[in-house]
Amino acid sequence: MSDLPEAAERRLVGGTFSSGLSVSDFAACLEMGLEPVGLVQGYCVMHEGAYAMGGVLSRNISPFGASGSLSPSGSGYVQNYQCPHGMISTEHRAWGQNYEQTWVQDVWNQGFTSAFQRMLEEATTLGADGVVGVIDSQLPLGDVGAIEFHVWGTAVKVLDTPAPTSAPWTTYLAGQRLAKVFEAGYVPVSVIAAVSSVRVWAYCVTEYLMEGFAGSMWTNSSNSSNAIEIDQIVTAQSWSRQKVRSLARAQLRGDALHGADLRLAEREFQKGDLQIEAILRGNRIRRFKDFDPLPIPQPTVRLS
Amino acid sequence: MSDVTNDLPEATGRRLEELEKGLFTSDLSVNEFLLIKEVGFHPVGFVMGSSIYHTGIQTRKWGQSLELTKLTEAMYNARELAMTRMEEEASELGADGVVGVRLDVNYYEWGKDAAEFIAVGTAVKAEDGVSRLNKLGKPFTSDLSGQDFWTLLQTGYFPQGLVMGTCVYHIAHRGIGQTLGTTGQNVELPNFTQALYEARELAMTRMQDEATQLGATGIVGVRLEEKSHQWGSHTIEFLSLGTAVSKTSDEVTLAKPTTIITLDN
Amino acid sequence: MTNDLKAEVRRAVASLEGKPPKADSTTSDLSIDEELNLHAIGWEPVELVSGVSLFSTPVGLWNWGEGEISSASQAHALAFRYAIERIHKDAADAGGHGVVGVHIERRVYSTHIEVSLLGTAVRPVGAGRVEASNVFVSDLSARDFTMLMVAGWAPLGLATGASFVYAPRRSMSTALQQQSQNVELRNYTDALYSSRESAMERMQRVALDLRGTGVVGVKVVEGPMGFAPHAVGFAAWGTVVRLVKETHQFVRPSMVVSLNDLSVAFNAQTLH
Repeated sequence: MSDLPEAAERRLVGGTFSSGLSVSDFAACLEMGLEPVGLVQGYCVMHEGAYAMGGVLSRNISPFGASGSLSPSGSGYVQNYQCPHGMISTEHRAWGQNYEQTWVQDVWNQGFTSAFQRMLEEATTLGADGVVGVIDSQLPLGDVGAIEFHVWGTAVKVLDTPAPTSAPWTTYLAGQRLAKVFEAGYVPVSVIAAVSSVRVWAYCVTEYLMEGFAGSMWTNSSNSSNAIEIDQIVTAQSWSRQKVRSLARAQLRGDALHGADLRLAEREFQKGDLQIEAILRGNRIRRFKDFDPLPIPQPTVRLS
Repeated sequence: MSDVTNDLPEATGRRLEELEKGLFTSDLSVNEFLLIKEVGFHPVGFVMGSSIYHTGIQTRKWGQSLELTKLTEAMYNARELAMTRMEEEASELGADGVVGVRLDVNYYEWGKDAAEFIAVGTAVKAEDGVSRLNKLGKPFTSDLSGQDFWTLLQTGYFPQGLVMGTCVYHIAHRGIGQTLGTTGQNVELPNFTQALYEARELAMTRMQDEATQLGATGIVGVRLEEKSHQWGSHTIEFLSLGTAVSKTSDEVTLAKPTTIITLDN
Repeated sequence: MTNDLKAEVRRAVASLEGKPPKADSTTSDLSIDEELNLHAIGWEPVELVSGVSLFSTPVGLWNWGEGEISSASQAHALAFRYAIERIHKDAADAGGHGVVGVHIERRVYSTHIEVSLLGTAVRPVGAGRVEASNVFVSDLSARDFTMLMVAGWAPLGLATGASFVYAPRRSMSTALQQQSQNVELRNYTDALYSSRESAMERMQRVALDLRGTGVVGVKVVEGPMGFAPHAVGFAAWGTVVRLVKETHQFVRPSMVVSLNDLSVAFNAQTLH
């Protein structure tokens, strides 16, 4: 039926359900007419590839070094920076580049999706309508440059409805927050997770600015004040946020992203040489009924 | 209490001028801001006062538990200075009082025997124009939050001032003979008990004296803090803080509160 | 709200079978409570938006000198200004009128100052677009925004001010020896005082430029620089507001007594 490990199939056949829900979340489920039927999960271990973060070759390769051929081909964001000084020297970084690390994004997407699909398979085996309280994690494994993707949640059946014919709906939410989402006229469709990864190879101006030479001839400061914006890095930072947002939007297909969570991780190899990774998670939800706004809530002062 | 006529640094002047012209600043949350307005007060400006004080330790006798009076004075004066400057800023703004007062101590690496004492709060003014200055003719100060200020006023009481008492106490080191004698037994350490008891009492009594000076009928929100600052574990400052209040009206507008149980965690 | 939650859930799940309605995707990091609060005053979330800026400061700036470290104060102000301008543009492009719940991250390094802003752009339901310069940015939560608007106040933007100063050069121990015990160290007091006041005053000036009447929720951050302990930095920021209704609208809260027991978490680590 699936590529689930044998142990998983055995666990899911057993009678009692286990669930990651807290007591209040469990109570809320029952309130919503959702019956928890079991804890479901999926795993996937991906090898990052030689060039990705932590990968064996990523640290020392430079696009203009002897090994040369790393310059990414046409796919993805690339922006070049040219030295304005007209100096030729081995120490002077005449050229720099921001580029999208598409392989990192691909590894992440594949790992997450595989783990997620396996979780859905387990849920389907249980005859579940949906999975609530989803949690996802990515665990780097030792020095081998591998990541373990883990996605899990509590599978639920909607009481008094016929058996499901399509894939389960999923959401990071659980408990009262999920109940309010339903009451507000939304139905959860799926969890959304997107990642963007950009590498900054600093050129001379960026390197000097990051080492604190603002205001010197090297940084072309025409203004008398010594504060200069570090343009190359700002561009990369802005790009990483825009990109991850547009990747998430592409998955929405007209639905809304609710309760989003954006995490940024920056890694500096040396002054100005950075890697910026952005992960955006959220709940894809859809309106199923018109909704009259609530009246303005009555404020109270609590005597504790 | 030091009687200092305006000794605020020059930089303060410009900032207060802008506030006097009508801009208000406040570190109150939106909730507190709305509750202050409910009881007829308006925030005027964020006010602060600070002083850097030498807090070096005087010589002390190892075998005795006693108050280090010079240090007590220093701790008290340092905070008084900070509070007074904060009150001066409030007076400058024509405020009736300061709410949400916070007292903080900052230590800096370049000042091992010194500390910076800071008092900050939001100065407020009554919208009906009736003065609310306290018995000493100064703006009232209080460490009550916006919520507590609102609740207090419902009871017909009004804050008069933040009162404090402090006591720096040195606790005798027990002799080696004594230490060995009681090892392994569950014994109360009478030295410590007595010392801590006395120190706390001193701090609280001094705080109450301040309240009496303000003609207050009571003190609310009393709390006792213990700090070793940078002196090591045998020397402790006991600081007792509270807000002195007086009854100003017999009218109690407290409606019967509704009881609720919230379903969130 | 609805009487039969179970029926609503069944109806909701059944709707997934049909074709999704045509809609413009919105993205938001607001919780459902916050969204409901916004809807109660006729506003809606539009897009998750951000703005970033990094300003370099010259090395050697932090070596012990005298008085204010104006380059650092300048870099701080510029970093905020540019980050705010970028989030304005992001919000305006998405059709937002303001950004609420902004997470402000600011970091001061020895060679540069970084500011990163992230929040959800919001607008009155179905409203058209506005110019980027008219977008307001605020670190107030969506809930606080709602309460303020109900009371008749509107947020205009974020005001920030910062000042960095060297502690006076004359060594502290010399200063102490030359004075009797337990007195105020006036030089040091004045230096730090001035810096604190400058930071607040700069924040106020931004508020005045935005034509606000007040700044609420002011946060003050102060302390020595980790990489240069003899340098001290002060920063203050808050949301600029203005009364837009005729008069302040009173909220008239009622009092409640909660019957929840505050649970005490037992943490075994505190036994060490």
